[in-house]
Amino acid sequence: MEQGALAAAISPDLITVHPAERDRYSQDMSFVNPVRPASVVRPKTAADIQRIVKFANQTGTPLVPVSSGPPHFRGDTVPSVGGAVIVDVSGMKKILLVDRKRRVAMCEPGVTFAELIPEVEKVGLRLNMPLLPRSSKSVVGSLLEREPVIMPKYQWDISDPLACAEIFFGTGDEFRTGQAAGPGSIAEQWAVGAVQKAPYGPGTASLHRLIQGAQGTMGIVTWVSMRCEILPSLEEPFVIGSSQLDALLQMAYWLIRLRSVNECFILNNTNLAAIFAKERPPRFQSLKASLPTWTLFYAVAGYEYLPEERVSSHMKDITEIAQRLGLEAEKAVGEVSAHEILKAVQRPSSNPYWKLRPSGACQDTFYLTLREKLAVQIDAMNVLAEKAGYPASQMGVYIQPVVQGTSYHCEYNLFYDPQNRRELNRVKELSTLAVRELMAKGAFFSRPYGESKGMILNRDAATLSTLSKLKKIFDPNNVMNPGKVCF
Amino acid sequence: MALSKDIYSAFEDVVGPEYICNDPVIMPSYHGTEFAAIVLPKDTAEVQAIVKLCNKYKLPFRPVCTGWTGKFSKGTLYLDLRRMNRIIEINETNMYAVVEPYVISAQLQAELMKRGLHLNVKGAGSNCSAMLRGHGHLDQTTSGDDRNHLAIEWVTPAGDIVRSGSLGSSDEWFCGDGPGPSLRSILTSAVPPGVTPGVFTKAALKIYHWPGPSRFPVEGISPKYYLSEIPPNFMARYFSFPSVEKMWEAEIKIGESEIAFELMGFNVAMVAANITTSNEEEEQTFQRLSKEVQGPGFFIILAGNSAADFAYKKRVLEQIIGEAGGRSLASVEDPRTEGILLCQCIRISASIRETFRPGGAFSSIPVMGQRDLTIQWAIGAGQAKEPLIEKGLIVDDGGAFFGWGVEQGHLGKTEIFCKYDPQNPEAKKAVEDWHNAQSARAFQERYFALLAGPNEEIGRGLSNYHLWWNKIQQALDPNGVSAGAGALV
Amino acid sequence: MGLEQYKGDMEMCCRCSACKWIPMQRVSGYRYAHVCPSISKYNFHSYSGGGRLNIGAAMLKQGFNYTDRLLDIIYNCQMCGACGVSCNYAMDMEVLEPIQEFRIKCVEDGKTHPALDQVIAGLRKHGSEVPPTGKRGDWALGLHLKDATKEKVDVLYHAGCLISYDKNMQKLAKATVKILQKAGVEFGIAGDAETCSGGRAYQMGYQEDFLNQAQKNMALIKQSGAKTVVTGCADGYQAFKVLYDKFKLKGNLEVLHISEYIDRLTKEGRLKPQKKVDLLVTYHDPCRLGRLGEPWIPWAGKKVPGDRFVFDPPKTYRRGTHGVYQPPRDVLKSIPGVKLTEMTRIKEYAWCCGAGGGVDASNPDFAQWTARERIDEAESTGAEALVTTCCWCEKTFHQAIAETGSRLKVYDIVELVETAIT
Ligand SMILES: Cc1cc2nc3c(=O)[nH]c(=O)nc-3n(C[C@H](O)[C@H](O)[C@H](O)COP(=O)(O)OP(=O)(O)OC[C@H]3O[C@@H](n4cnc5c(N)ncnc54)[C@H](O)[C@@H]3O)c2cc1C
Ligand code: SF4
Ligand code: SF4
Repeated sequence: MEQGALAAAISPDLITVHPAERDRYSQDMSFVNPVRPASVVRPKTAADIQRIVKFANQTGTPLVPVSSGPPHFRGDTVPSVGGAVIVDVSGMKKILLVDRKRRVAMCEPGVTFAELIPEVEKVGLRLNMPLLPRSSKSVVGSLLEREPVIMPKYQWDISDPLACAEIFFGTGDEFRTGQAAGPGSIAEQWAVGAVQKAPYGPGTASLHRLIQGAQGTMGIVTWVSMRCEILPSLEEPFVIGSSQLDALLQMAYWLIRLRSVNECFILNNTNLAAIFAKERPPRFQSLKASLPTWTLFYAVAGYEYLPEERVSSHMKDITEIAQRLGLEAEKAVGEVSAHEILKAVQRPSSNPYWKLRPSGACQDTFYLTLREKLAVQIDAMNVLAEKAGYPASQMGVYIQPVVQGTSYHCEYNLFYDPQNRRELNRVKELSTLAVRELMAKGAFFSRPYGESKGMILNRDAATLSTLSKLKKIFDPNNVMNPGKVCF
Repeated sequence: MALSKDIYSAFEDVVGPEYICNDPVIMPSYHGTEFAAIVLPKDTAEVQAIVKLCNKYKLPFRPVCTGWTGKFSKGTLYLDLRRMNRIIEINETNMYAVVEPYVISAQLQAELMKRGLHLNVKGAGSNCSAMLRGHGHLDQTTSGDDRNHLAIEWVTPAGDIVRSGSLGSSDEWFCGDGPGPSLRSILTSAVPPGVTPGVFTKAALKIYHWPGPSRFPVEGISPKYYLSEIPPNFMARYFSFPSVEKMWEAEIKIGESEIAFELMGFNVAMVAANITTSNEEEEQTFQRLSKEVQGPGFFIILAGNSAADFAYKKRVLEQIIGEAGGRSLASVEDPRTEGILLCQCIRISASIRETFRPGGAFSSIPVMGQRDLTIQWAIGAGQAKEPLIEKGLIVDDGGAFFGWGVEQGHLGKTEIFCKYDPQNPEAKKAVEDWHNAQSARAFQERYFALLAGPNEEIGRGLSNYHLWWNKIQQALDPNGVSAGAGALV
Repeated sequence: MGLEQYKGDMEMCCRCSACKWIPMQRVSGYRYAHVCPSISKYNFHSYSGGGRLNIGAAMLKQGFNYTDRLLDIIYNCQMCGACGVSCNYAMDMEVLEPIQEFRIKCVEDGKTHPALDQVIAGLRKHGSEVPPTGKRGDWALGLHLKDATKEKVDVLYHAGCLISYDKNMQKLAKATVKILQKAGVEFGIAGDAETCSGGRAYQMGYQEDFLNQAQKNMALIKQSGAKTVVTGCADGYQAFKVLYDKFKLKGNLEVLHISEYIDRLTKEGRLKPQKKVDLLVTYHDPCRLGRLGEPWIPWAGKKVPGDRFVFDPPKTYRRGTHGVYQPPRDVLKSIPGVKLTEMTRIKEYAWCCGAGGGVDASNPDFAQWTARERIDEAESTGAEALVTTCCWCEKTFHQAIAETGSRLKVYDIVELVETAIT
């Protein structure tokens, strides 16, 4: 690649060609093939980004946008082709807006959860978080990946909590989605009291939906805005442990349907132990042994007005549902208290990242599905795991009702020791097999990553062909993260 | 623009002679437009065949559900989807329903209510298609616009069948997005509207919990319906406030505390329209109510999931209203009025009396998004109505606007309209001028932009969205047959 | 005047399609939500109430273009008025009136339907809507009823064409006689001199023939000295009560449908249905007893210039509010053992039996299609029998039942009352 040309396009200070640096981006914790980028650029401004994209178009240089810090897990930030330039925007750390009244915040891609949370909390807001993201995870990254969030009640649309975004498409053109599109610049909008909140439009298109799930193949995002929720003045967390997943799912269904609870998700004992065992073994094993197979966690909250009364009226309704289902809400399961869980999930993971704690590495397989299909899919996964020589009991399972209970994110976390080749190969094989087997059982892999993406995407030729048409419009020269998704 | 015999019979082969017509006598009932023909396909396969023929003959087409209003170009093929009217599925376990285009909201809602569920009903009314995107009184708890769509079965302008999200991959309706980027990005959006390319033949919609009875206890004979009782744990009130600011403050607090089932920022003119059964009665009632209110206000429905929940919500409401200096309108507290307004707002969504009854026409500027911002603009637009009212060119509604909170106040809608007699050219012209001036002001002062028709300046002001949209349309519709013009209101 | 007088009303139509459905807050499920047979069967918007007005308004402006399609639209309508009721929940405008005027105009312009022409030819010849079988008064042979053409009567029973001539329907007249006699009512009939009320001719668009019949009837009534006319069919009822009034022919005549009269007699204690009739029934409101049976409201005035579609003096619309809904229901309730279960579409938003507007003659298949839909709805209630108060409905339902093999029984209300009092 013509280093000189890139340096001419943007300030050379932003470019690194140092082999060690390039190596850092050449692989991640997934099983994708390592490919070393030609260089790494660290733009500071939108203008830098635009210049980089223009340069890429002129020279046919593949760009791989990266927002979060390492470790990466999904292979989406590892180049698929040689000669790529990593566009690492993790240094763009401005928090551009926090507006209490309109319940919205806006930040650049380098901002992590740990950085944004205190800022929104200052004015009495909170984020609808993914479950315990790693501390280096970019908020923007999480939103663009359509990661499930732990308060399904507030997720009206799968695109939530993303509001608007500014992007440089693969063509190098700047575009702002939703309300942010205009009229006028952001500064002009602010001047009349506008914030960047409404996600749809302009016109019939709602292009934030195109940018989401694209894994950087449509362009590079320079900021996003997101809806925030009110920070409760009172919270009562509960857990219900059971070996009967179905009963817990039914419980979760009613909690969400009645909008009685904020946080609401289900973890199996392995995952709950992984989250709370600070060191392993023996702590992990004993903790896990103390836990029921499945734990449903939920929190009831009160806000500004009569918080106690709100919580108690909800609790009364919830108790009735639980009784109907033969369940009992408690304040702790085994050695883990509901309160601990609540505090933990309102922040990113402490270090080391919880998924790395049990064995040093983790491979995730996740998809969306219907409630009634979960049991069969989980059984199938258990059988597959055992067949592959991976003890099913070691597998973490996370079930997140999403979009107000219209579907369920189901995630299997295969913890393994990355130094152990046999174990690693087992997990690799298992995760490929699992995708095939689970798809046959109705799993919908809405966010296809890594090796299995072809298998996933090929099931729907019509969608694929339409997406390709769109890709040609927004990134005609295919410079944006080529090789990802179906592009 | 008559179709040649051959072309006509090609379409006839698809739908059968009973379901195609190009006799000019029927066109007045189709928006007074000279359509190439009206066709009534019965299923997706027929829609696809029709669209393919349109591509073959380069004939523009437009699909229509209930077709309340619309602007169409002469010579277009009109796909009247009324025969595609099945409820495919109500999935209570996963909170969605799948319908064809001509299931109206009232039908789906009635089925849902029996199951303790309900849906977003467009403000236009439950007489409209349940499937199309739109927003309405219930947005506070049922969201609106494109945000309720899950998977969609879509015949593209080129005649391909695309099944978005989980539908294409695993034959289930629960998700409309992915794998990878979402095709919902190009399918539908919010008001200000645009026209969807191609035809939706089925769609899954999110559904919501309904805490009320399986049907309202409606008594009486039309139009004097009333409820024999207000359903348990339900209450409806209208509050007026000393100022717009106070109203907005109360609205936001109500949203944040998640107590309202519906929050509809009716102005009193709309309250008067909805609780009366004739124009004369409406006029008198409007005069009377105008004296009873202290300023702008909203209508609110509380609905408790239980007695405790209801009691809590009532207490919070009282406190919020007290703090904002709100005052309840006594007329609406009368259980007879309260009951029917409550039922109407949920079941009909109440728009015909407010809009068409007085003069037969209305001209509206509706906008979705940030409620406080759009209210700011609407105050000016309301003031600009006053001279028209004084001259007797439009119906006196106090110059008011209306709107509501969406998703518990996260988003909102504001709208303002003029009701007038379309047979009066002076009134028509004055209303058009008002519409143009207020739309232009919204854009120039950076509030929002209306996107009726191609407009370079607006496009440029909105991230050049129009250029992108043109490219998308060209890619999806190489023969340019999916007619792009037309607004939804 | 004619259609022209409704120009403004027709132009008010906003194409909301409410006229295709029962009032929205009455929609209680996916099924039985439609109210207009015509649009339900023929699907093009033009067949709906609103579509008809759109066409009327346009043709007033652009001239009348009588294509086959237009006539198909015009004559495939039961003139049932359901569209008007649903529209008038929200809108202030006439709906059925312009539809009616459009038909009248067609007839005036010679754009008639051959089957209807035939019916009218029969009417002109025999004073009957149905081909005569014997003499009109034959049904009363041997009953020794007062002849109102010869003696003065207070109460005149007008049996109607179908009941008089149709062998299967004559039982209704006989039952009525029994009931009135049981209650001790002094009444007479016109026997062979009875002539059609003209109501159905009016629905078909033959205004002149209607007026002709109306004048004949009023002359006969005047001569008989009757103060009250009791009708056996809903068409006759609406003609005497509403249409004659519309044309200022009715005077002070009291018009009662037999079900209203029975209700009155029962409530006055003159009639005591005592015998148990164990039957689960559902009740079909005939259009012309129900929504279209509400009194005529005379009005003449002008639109007030300005923004609103209002008039001076103010116009009171007939929205179906004051139709005859409760009396037949009260009669059913008064019969021991009869249990009434309601269908979804009742009272002002009842679904037509299919026979209205001459459709039974002009397009029997459509009439039957419409009736089958009603039979299906009646069956969905679990009722054993469908009770109605109009012989035309009963006849149409019987045919539909014969075709579908439904086990539902169909009765006129007088049949049940007759059983209960003997
Ligand atoms: C009095 C009044 C009040 C209104 N208030 C509101 C309101 O509060 N909120 C709101 O959201 N809207 C409102 N509207 C607009 C209203 O939502 C639309 O008129 C509406 O959705 C009508 O539904 P419909 O079934 O008649 O749609 P149609 O008129 O049939 O169609 C609307 C549009 O969608 C397109 N379309 C129809 N079917 C399909 C399909 N299957 N696939 C793709 N495209 C299709 C049509 O071409 C047309 O452009 C109002 C309109 C009126 C007249
Ligand atoms: S006739 Fe009435 S109900 Fe029917 S479309 Fe016109 S305005 Fe609507
Ligand atoms: S009168 Fe009856 S059949 Fe005719 S258009 Fe109206 S509702 Fe339909």
